[in-house]
Amino acid sequence: MKKLILYITLIIGSIAFIYPFYWMVTASLVPENEIESLTLLPQSISLNSYIQMFEKIPIGRAFFNSIFVATMVTGGVLVLCSMVGYALSRLRFVGRNLIFYIIIFTMTLPFQITLIPNYIIMVKLGWIDTFLALIVPYLINAFAIIMFRQVFQTIPQDLIDAARIDGCGELRIIFQILWPNIVPSLVTVGIITFMATWNDVLWPLIVIRDENLMTMPQLVTLFAVGGRAESQLGVKLASATILAFPIIIAYLFFQKYFIQSMASTGMKE
Amino acid sequence: MKNNKLLPYLLVSPYLIHLMVFVAFPVLFSIFLTFNKWNIISPMEFIGFGNFLRVFQDVLFFKAIYNTLKFLIVHIPLQIIVALLLAEILNQKIKFRPFFRAAFFLPVVVSGVVVSMLWQQLYGFDTGILNRMLTTLGFGKVGWLVDPNMAMVSIAVMATWKNVGLYVILFLVGLQTVPPQYYEAADLEGANHWQKFWHITLPMINPTIFMVVILSTIGGFSLFIEPYIMTGGGPLNSTLSAVLYIYKQAFTNYHMGYSATLGFFFAFIILFVVIIQKRFIEKGES
Amino acid sequence: MKNVLFKGCKSEFFLGLLVLSCSLLTYCNFSRENDDNSLLYWSANDAQEVEFARQVISAWNLEHPDEQIKLQPVPEGQSSEEIILAAVVGKTTPDIYANMWQGDVEFFAQAKVLVPFDTLEGFLEFIYQRCDSALIKEITSSDGHIYQIPWKINPIMMIYNKQVVEEIGGVPRTYSEYLEACKKYQKDNDGDGYVDQWFGYANVRPIWHELRFNFYLLYLAASDGASLVENNHAVFNNQHAIDVFRFFGELYTKNYFTQDMLSSGQDPFLTGKIATKFTGPWEIAHLEKFKPQGFDYAYAPVPVPDDHQGPVYTYGDPKNIVIFNTCKNPLLAWRFLKFLISDENDLLFLKLSGQIPPRKDLTINPLFVEVFKQNEKLAPFANQARYIRGVDNNEVIKEVFDIITQEYQSSVLYGVKSPEDALRDAAKAVDVLLLNM
Repeated sequence: MKKLILYITLIIGSIAFIYPFYWMVTASLVPENEIESLTLLPQSISLNSYIQMFEKIPIGRAFFNSIFVATMVTGGVLVLCSMVGYALSRLRFVGRNLIFYIIIFTMTLPFQITLIPNYIIMVKLGWIDTFLALIVPYLINAFAIIMFRQVFQTIPQDLIDAARIDGCGELRIIFQILWPNIVPSLVTVGIITFMATWNDVLWPLIVIRDENLMTMPQLVTLFAVGGRAESQLGVKLASATILAFPIIIAYLFFQKYFIQSMASTGMKE
Repeated sequence: MKNNKLLPYLLVSPYLIHLMVFVAFPVLFSIFLTFNKWNIISPMEFIGFGNFLRVFQDVLFFKAIYNTLKFLIVHIPLQIIVALLLAEILNQKIKFRPFFRAAFFLPVVVSGVVVSMLWQQLYGFDTGILNRMLTTLGFGKVGWLVDPNMAMVSIAVMATWKNVGLYVILFLVGLQTVPPQYYEAADLEGANHWQKFWHITLPMINPTIFMVVILSTIGGFSLFIEPYIMTGGGPLNSTLSAVLYIYKQAFTNYHMGYSATLGFFFAFIILFVVIIQKRFIEKGES
Repeated sequence: MKNVLFKGCKSEFFLGLLVLSCSLLTYCNFSRENDDNSLLYWSANDAQEVEFARQVISAWNLEHPDEQIKLQPVPEGQSSEEIILAAVVGKTTPDIYANMWQGDVEFFAQAKVLVPFDTLEGFLEFIYQRCDSALIKEITSSDGHIYQIPWKINPIMMIYNKQVVEEIGGVPRTYSEYLEACKKYQKDNDGDGYVDQWFGYANVRPIWHELRFNFYLLYLAASDGASLVENNHAVFNNQHAIDVFRFFGELYTKNYFTQDMLSSGQDPFLTGKIATKFTGPWEIAHLEKFKPQGFDYAYAPVPVPDDHQGPVYTYGDPKNIVIFNTCKNPLLAWRFLKFLISDENDLLFLKLSGQIPPRKDLTINPLFVEVFKQNEKLAPFANQARYIRGVDNNEVIKEVFDIITQEYQSSVLYGVKSPEDALRDAAKAVDVLLLNM
């Protein structure tokens, strides 16, 4: 039956996408010398890899750093970019369209040009090895501005007029009146920004040298590439598992939102 | 009332400040840097076109560009084919669709660091699952990450594995916009599935395909963390991506002026490729 | 109208919080400045060195209550060189740093952030007494000044499994003997068609610092400590380098050395998977802790070409002491350092960490002779310490290593080029690099 073939394909596909993670988790839970022969079920369980990992690197600290940075950036983006998006969509002023075109244009600018100078700016400002370097450059996100502008354009003008009559200031209009009406967009931008910030590695590798300030992916990367794991595979995999863990948990619970968010970004192009 | 005049500018000011500090100034500074030699702690040294001359003599840089293009040539078609296939299947009357969708999408949310470390082990020559499977089935081992000809291909396959879930979703959305009447009409004319796909589906989702190509291209050009973790750019510099090379020049060798120059050249190449893609696909559309 | 108090309050509160946290964060840095008169000393951050520094500094502080030294292990990070660079850039350098790789010093010296020791009173006579003139010449910068004190070395030698070597027929000294031994020891133990037992091993990761433990090591041995670059010109394209490339090439083509990363799992030297390794005295502590019953090992000089005469040189992996020019009292720093590298403290260091001080009197000074007599595993290093080289004093020595590594990989591991071609290309690329400097 044709249907059978389709299901088999899907099942093989699903296995292909899930098994590697399963392997990673089990490999981190078995003793070092068993990893070579591991396929499906472990012969013995051992927490040794995790214990060693916690001893070697400040992974808890890095976790906190990542949470902090990602939250600050996401919060900042939601606030600041909705402000800009609102102004661009609902207010009339000179330069409105110009700014919009500039935003579009800079979206096409490859980051490779600005990478080195941005690093140097961090150096000159004295922000190297501070959270400022990780947070501030990411507070404005062209994509977020575009999304907010787009969604604000769909809000009926009466709503805003009514609020103005009530004496609300512009900021209050944005955050108290409009935000409740655009929750899906907020969620979309929020999830994407959080995920992107959480997973970002290149920039932290460049601006953060102090281990106590490193983000989680950065710390795990250096652990994997450097010599501190002392070639212990289980420990490296344990760190990778811990790194994946928070996002996977969030994903399992908020799957629908994740998928919807990413899908809608495509639609806007 | 004065408030109202200034207000929009106040609201937009975060963007403008950000633009000046993190976009406009860096670009200008970058141009300035390309004419200098600098290693951060010594004073800058003006060297005119020295960096440009060096780029043209730089065999490694061209190899890095070549590697990146090789990656894209493998990765993009593979991604489109697999994503389309899976999306097409999911578009049929299938049970448990949410489960499959979630499974395919899982690698997309996970960090590239995790994926790279994981696949580095899967690709291991002696102890990796893939080679163990091959030997049990009677085949020889493959040097996934140690054969200079194979390494970039292996990374491209892994990148496809990581991202295809996203494109499955995008294609699904696209597929669902095709009006069912078209298919019904084709059914009446006795078209089989393949013909329907080729003549109705593909043209209708052309915009989606275009978007997938552009997104994958831009993503592919930023290839960095995967080779950084898995191979360090080897074997024999076959997985040295352009961004990895620029990173090395800047942060291992501290040639700030030279790496800024490389960044510039690379950015132009990206723009060039994207423009070509746009022309090519738009031609295909008409 | 709603509560005037809350007009726009929520959003401003949010923004205010953002700004507040950011400003708080700016202050949340490590303050590496010391506001008193004490000097800040950064040690390496492994346990033994920190312990040594602690003991020496406490002793000094006791004797000199007005001239205190503060200890801090160098902050953790990707590599200590990057940490130092970040410190220089952020102006948070210590006064004294005691773990700088010799090859890094020139880079910082050229940037004018180090204090030239030879301007400090009493330095020159001290240094000529401590080290031999070849070493001193090596550490002299291109501008004639000396910016580092040679402090510790870890000479690389060949460690071997005594039992295996006995069965094979003795310690191999030349390339031919080594290759013979490889052939005898090569085996496929589990019958899967793939060799799983090799006589030796060298890391194949294409990173420049690995070169010190394969090509560069044997090059120094074969050439009696020749340089790679001299007068801004590549001088390594010679017969010795070709011999070394050819030797390694043969090891890999005949699978006497494996190209796999022998990393996952247990220590391959201890399990017998490999019988020799090129390593330093640091291995001793690790081996003593983990060796199985009846396992015995010793060190010998690395192999040399068959026609080689005389003593065998090796790479010393030297780490030295520098003073940054942010130090307000370099003379005090120098006086402290003289204490740090006095006879007694050198002895203490040797005992605590197993790392060798680069003194020219190691084999005659009774203090040290005693230590080597008691610790027989360490003994070969005493003699070897007389024949070591570090790296050439060049700002971009790392890139030179990188270029040679690429050609080494190309010729030795992948057989794409002959040794002669590879070295010729390497020399050409190095010349281009040095020209642009």
